Amino acid sequence: MSTVESPSAVRKVVVHLRATGDAPILKQAKFKILGTDKFAKVIEFLRRQLHRDTLFVYVNSAFSPNPDELVIDLYNNFGFDGKLVVNYACSMAWG
Amino acid sequence: MDMEAQRYVWDGAIPLQIHLHESDVATLPAPPPALILAPRIGYLPLLASHLKPHFSSALPPRLDTIWFEYKGLPLKWYIPTGVLFDLLCAEPERPWNLTVHFTGYPGNILIPCEGEDSVKWSFINSLKEAAYIINGNCKNVMNMSQPDQVELWRSVLNGNLEPYRRVSTKLKLGTVGDEYAAKLNLSGETDFSGQVKAGRVPVRLYVWSVSEDFEDLEDAPQIDSWDKVSYINRPVEIQGGEGGDEHEQRVSSEDASSDRKAEEEVENSSEHITSCYQHDDAAIKLVRIQGIHPKLEIPFSWVANNLMNPEHFLHICVYLKVPQANTMS
Repeated sequence: MSTVESPSAVRKVVVHLRATGDAPILKQAKFKILGTDKFAKVIEFLRRQLHRDTLFVYVNSAFSPNPDELVIDLYNNFGFDGKLVVNYACSMAWG
Repeated sequence: MDMEAQRYVWDGAIPLQIHLHESDVATLPAPPPALILAPRIGYLPLLASHLKPHFSSALPPRLDTIWFEYKGLPLKWYIPTGVLFDLLCAEPERPWNLTVHFTGYPGNILIPCEGEDSVKWSFINSLKEAAYIINGNCKNVMNMSQPDQVELWRSVLNGNLEPYRRVSTKLKLGTVGDEYAAKLNLSGETDFSGQVKAGRVPVRLYVWSVSEDFEDLEDAPQIDSWDKVSYINRPVEIQGGEGGDEHEQRVSSEDASSDRKAEEEVENSSEHITSCYQHDDAAIKLVRIQGIHPKLEIPFSWVANNLMNPEHFLHICVYLKVPQANTMS
């Protein structure tokens, strides 16, 4: 039978930010965020750091999650090696 | 596989009566409401091409992004129309009375929307996310040819199931319980022949936690804030197992081990939810998928294969009764 995860809503998730294309590289590439936060918070953080309104943000160089998705869900579904890999680009990178 | 249910899903529509918000009425008398049959699998901003001409004579000259509201709640445009209806209309209201706005976009509540392009972007990315859950990557979606991508989106826009099937089979997203899924999950490890095929079903759960008690759905309170709805994305694992093919499974009701029932999956998910909220005595009041309250005995794989939306996510609305918060004394 499938395992039921322990309550994980309060845990923090390590987000690893990776620049793609001509996007500037951030000094701090890893940061911790509450699992209960929405992905919108990650996007917001990047916008502030990079001073850009238009930004394309992806998970695992693959897809752009809905900003309302919870970070903990993204981590549980797509994270590996204890972190969630988030790629950002200033122009559309993966359609 | 029997695809009749999928056709019902694709043909499903919500009759809408759409009123122009009074702050957008620039000429009197106010225009009559617009009556539209909105596809369940569609998205509200896609109705703009019908609504703009209908209201054009009354609209102010400077227009903003189109957005919709139900009894004061701005509607999230990326949620399929049918899901919004199932979630926000406890007792189905027909026609469903919505208010449309062409000014004053509530950017603090809704993510920005640039019309059809944004909806398409959101759809394709949801499809990629679903593919990632099913296959561990979304190469097939990313490598889709431009004409196929156009046709796929067109088929969703127009509710044409045949072209959708033609393109979507190329994405090799399979379906749990069918032959294809078996091949996908084989990867040379186990022989699944004659067993229920293992797989992961992309699921988006919308859980409305309600503390007020109500007997009938028509007495249910309104959802007045998105804060009361938990948006949970958690795939459901379909375990491979003994017990013959799916058909045999359905017949022998006692064999519930390998293909769990829809209700059970929701119970599991809600256990997860309730543990997050630390409500031990929360109870499920209602489960709705594509306007249907699925029967207990339906195998989850059937629900997933037949009632999913075109982006391969199964959207499940759950009303969860939670105990009233204790007042401080």
